[in-house]
Amino acid sequence: MNWNGMDFFHAGLTLGLFALGLGLAAKALSWLRLTIAPGPRPGMAARLAALARGLARNLAPRRAARWGRALILDGLLQRRIAGNGAYRWLMHIMIFSGFMGLLLMHGLDELTSERWLPGYAPALDPYQWLRNLFGVLALGGLAVAVWRRRVLPRVRRITGAQDWALILLLLGIMLSGLGLEASKIISPHVFDSMVEQYLGTDDEAEINALRLLWSEEYGVVFPAAPVYSAEVLARGREAHEGSCVYCHSRPTSAFVSYPLARAVAPLGNALNAWRADQLFYYLHVGLCFLGLALLPWGKFLHPLSTPLNLTLRQGRTGSDTGTKPPALAAVLRPLGLDACTHCGACSEHCSVAPSFLVLGTPDILPSEKLGSLKRHAAGQLRGPALRAFAEGSQICTECLRCTSVCPSGIDLQDLWMQSKARLRQTGPGEPHAVLGQRALRDWAATFRSLPPARAEATRSVKLCDNRASFWGCIQCTTCTSVCPVVAASEAPTRELDLTPQQIMNMLRMGLKEEVLGAEMVWSCVTCYKCQENCPQGVRVADVLYELRTLAWARLREHPEAWDEDGPRDSARDTAISRRNAETGRGPEAEHGAALEGDTP
Amino acid sequence: MNYAYFPGCKIPHHLPAYGQAVTALCAALGIGLEPLEFNCCGEPVRHRSFEAWALSAGRNLALAQRAGLAIMTPCKCCFGSLKHAAYWLRENPALRAQVGAALAEEDLSLPEEPQVLHLLTVLDRDVPSDELAARAGGRLYGLKVAAHYGCHALRPGNVTNFDDPLNPSIFERLLRRVGATPVPWALRLECCGHPLRGKRDKFSLALKARKLADARDAGAQILVTACTYCQMQFAEPDEGLAAVAQQTAESTRGAMPGRTRERSADNPQADTPPAMLAAQLIGLGIGLSPQELGLAELPAPLVHPVSLGHEE
Repeated sequence: MNWNGMDFFHAGLTLGLFALGLGLAAKALSWLRLTIAPGPRPGMAARLAALARGLARNLAPRRAARWGRALILDGLLQRRIAGNGAYRWLMHIMIFSGFMGLLLMHGLDELTSERWLPGYAPALDPYQWLRNLFGVLALGGLAVAVWRRRVLPRVRRITGAQDWALILLLLGIMLSGLGLEASKIISPHVFDSMVEQYLGTDDEAEINALRLLWSEEYGVVFPAAPVYSAEVLARGREAHEGSCVYCHSRPTSAFVSYPLARAVAPLGNALNAWRADQLFYYLHVGLCFLGLALLPWGKFLHPLSTPLNLTLRQGRTGSDTGTKPPALAAVLRPLGLDACTHCGACSEHCSVAPSFLVLGTPDILPSEKLGSLKRHAAGQLRGPALRAFAEGSQICTECLRCTSVCPSGIDLQDLWMQSKARLRQTGPGEPHAVLGQRALRDWAATFRSLPPARAEATRSVKLCDNRASFWGCIQCTTCTSVCPVVAASEAPTRELDLTPQQIMNMLRMGLKEEVLGAEMVWSCVTCYKCQENCPQGVRVADVLYELRTLAWARLREHPEAWDEDGPRDSARDTAISRRNAETGRGPEAEHGAALEGDTP
Repeated sequence: MNYAYFPGCKIPHHLPAYGQAVTALCAALGIGLEPLEFNCCGEPVRHRSFEAWALSAGRNLALAQRAGLAIMTPCKCCFGSLKHAAYWLRENPALRAQVGAALAEEDLSLPEEPQVLHLLTVLDRDVPSDELAARAGGRLYGLKVAAHYGCHALRPGNVTNFDDPLNPSIFERLLRRVGATPVPWALRLECCGHPLRGKRDKFSLALKARKLADARDAGAQILVTACTYCQMQFAEPDEGLAAVAQQTAESTRGAMPGRTRERSADNPQADTPPAMLAAQLIGLGIGLSPQELGLAELPAPLVHPVSLGHEE
């Protein structure tokens, strides 16, 4: 490569490594600083000490063997991905083996191949062939990745900008590499510079003879095609065997880039005139340096953070981070967050995914909630994003399924339990907590001031707004007298605002807004004794359930009525409404934050 | 007979012992359990959105229908939620159409007659009474137990069709078959208080305390539950409630039935009976080992050597 190219290479490498170093340092610092759990926050020194103690404890041979086992089975052989289906394992192992093969044999060849492989030269076989093989493996895997992210509904719905960025970067590196190889095959400039460096003669006749051979057998496209003659060809072969053969196998073994070079040969002169070889070089090397600089960020880090997390988890699929010393757990949690590849396995299996379909809040799905949790831990969540995170966190039922399927071995269960506990301290609270904050009178004023929620109008089962629901009520007070909450209350009128039978009476009179915030509604234990015992068949407990959903639907649409953290983000809402109109999602979905372009 | 096993969300992490006990008991009694990947029954989201609840529950009914199996759940809240969904999806054509349309995107369809059963019903219906009695022998003879029914299976009776909602007998019947002696107690059909746990703790704890005291006063040595939530309510310590439950994982894991409760003088729950899952008690009754049933240690009333003739 010419001097300018080298300059580009060294400048790019230096910048890339500098960015990598800074990024990794910031990342390591974040593992020592970010806090997910509530309560006292272990300092950096405590975390480092806990980490050191943990490492020391695990140096014993039997424990170290467990780490090694996890690194090999889960990190290298990727057993946990296999647990999510053969095609996913095949996809990832193709990308992994192709990329790592290229990185180790080709990208770092000055440090690896040239030292350890005697007689290594990039254009010799089997290296030339292997480079193509690795490239094809990676491209095949990437094609599957594109397919699943575009076609499978449960994966498509969580796929965001960052997922495409990583796929496109890898595709760019692989394709530009093939382009570089093909354009170097056809390039007379590369031929000339090699001749200058290695032939050791400037005998024009000999160089011409070599030109003929390289044009015939090595695919170089010269501006003026050398005239064929068997005699000249033999002379060229002689020169070739004297100078070139030690570093060059025939390019036919480059089973992708050589056919590519043959295919573009008719355009060869134009490509060579544009110096396609240099363009591809800058593109290929530039993209590699970009990858280097991006490595510490987001899912680009997963080649480092995921094997680390898998090794630390030692093959466990349950949740145990909460049982570790707090300072150690405090390091393991942010590290786990960074091991996420946003593959979507958790969201494919999520127990509360149907709630996402109806409510539309992406943070209900674990793969999306994890991104918000990162921002929450960094103190960057505000307003609508914070409420969406709280809603997703609160709807999670802690069923452990995301944790047991996670190919990166993240202890998600622990992360959710800790972040939920933290949200209970800092808010926004659950509906029950929010409604407990004000007196009934204030809530009545609030609810009167709010228009009915969109969810309220579209619902198919309506009890409260249907006066027929209460026609049978004779105000006999049976519901109130069997209610265990009323019985457990020392002063029901003060503590519960209204008794069940009073609520039925007010609803019969159409005073819905006056009862939505009643403590009785939010202290209902859902035992259904009232409904079972009602002599007139009034659905007392079902009505109380409905009151809670109605109240929350209104407050959810109008957070400014209860959340000091600010009103809804109207610009964001408009964007979401537009997207929903495009995707045909219902009005309920409009509450959610945007799915695409909002991934961690 | 084979059932689609619906453990619910809380068993895998919060009460794994229940899962172990149900699996072991059903295996011992020849009840086949097919694990399907269900989603949440919907109950926890029912306070927020009727529609989210209906789709969650309805999807489970559709999954069971596709597998051609009846659902069997050991959790009464899951049971009640699924039965309510079956009820509303039958009664309200608009809701049925709405849920059906969402399910159709996954090629799922709502069953005409969803089959949802609770563990107790399956034990009562599928295991011949004399077989259970014969296998139990006298292991639990003389053990006084309070059967805690659990609201969401019992009421509203016209929705759940579990047993007579005002005077049920299925739980006591099963306990008698394995040799235990159910005691009559006033609050047996009352709520455990779990639905308000973490929401209105004052009432949640008051309901729990009242029930435990009533069971104790009725002479029960053990309070028997058949619901994940009820068991968690009675067995989990209350300390972490008002403050943040910092390490719920740890506390639940330590909350095996029989872990001795603090019995200080100022504790109103002093000497109240420990809570135990029916699947565990019946399992012990027919000779399964405590380990198989997920019991780290036996509750105090069962430790006495003559009351439980285990072959060690």
